[in-house]
Amino acid sequence: MTQEELQGLTVNKSVDARGTACPGPLLEAKKAIGTIGSGDIMEILSADEGTKRDIPKWANKKGHEYLGTAEESGFFKIYLKKG
Amino acid sequence: MCLALFSGSVDKLIAAGVILSGAAADDMDVDIYVLLQAARAFRKDIGDDPEKLSMAENVDLKEEFLASLKKLNVKTWVEFFKEAKEITNVKIHICGLAGKVWDAEKLEDFIDLADDIVGISEYITASQEADVNLFI
Repeated sequence: MTQEELQGLTVNKSVDARGTACPGPLLEAKKAIGTIGSGDIMEILSADEGTKRDIPKWANKKGHEYLGTAEESGFFKIYLKKG
Repeated sequence: MCLALFSGSVDKLIAAGVILSGAAADDMDVDIYVLLQAARAFRKDIGDDPEKLSMAENVDLKEEFLASLKKLNVKTWVEFFKEAKEITNVKIHICGLAGKVWDAEKLEDFIDLADDIVGISEYITASQEADVNLFI
């Protein structure tokens, strides 16, 4: 997905994990994805560099779809679709 | 996953906590066997009190290490273990001998996260059955 497409997604759940370092964002994502339904979109806000690779790998392993990462100023947003 | 947790040092306990978090995110079943030095840290009167725990490495940098963790908003080792238990199936087994070494023989002598007190044969069996084995 392009940056524009990502920014235009309708998000069902937003998780702001910018206050934590690894493994904080991963666990926040893990806990939050249990609260949404299959096919719902979740975004995770993080400023932790390792999380950029961590969450997509985890998501694919757990059967969720990684849609992409949108860069913001000083942080980024990872978009997932729950499987 | 089967974790033989020997170390009772704050740096290694936090490392174990981070690994546990990854296992929890992955929904892994985890058995932790609390061995000699770690049993001291699991004592109720010690837990995550940094004053009562040493460092395994860079011992003279303990204050700097702890201050940096605080700045990064990193959980204490007990908080890591507690959160992992809330998310996935984590069982914490205290080695009976290890407890005795540190004057803690009953389950109530340890922090609430401990599930039972066991002998070494349980660890051997669990490690034979686990697909991931760690010694920290």
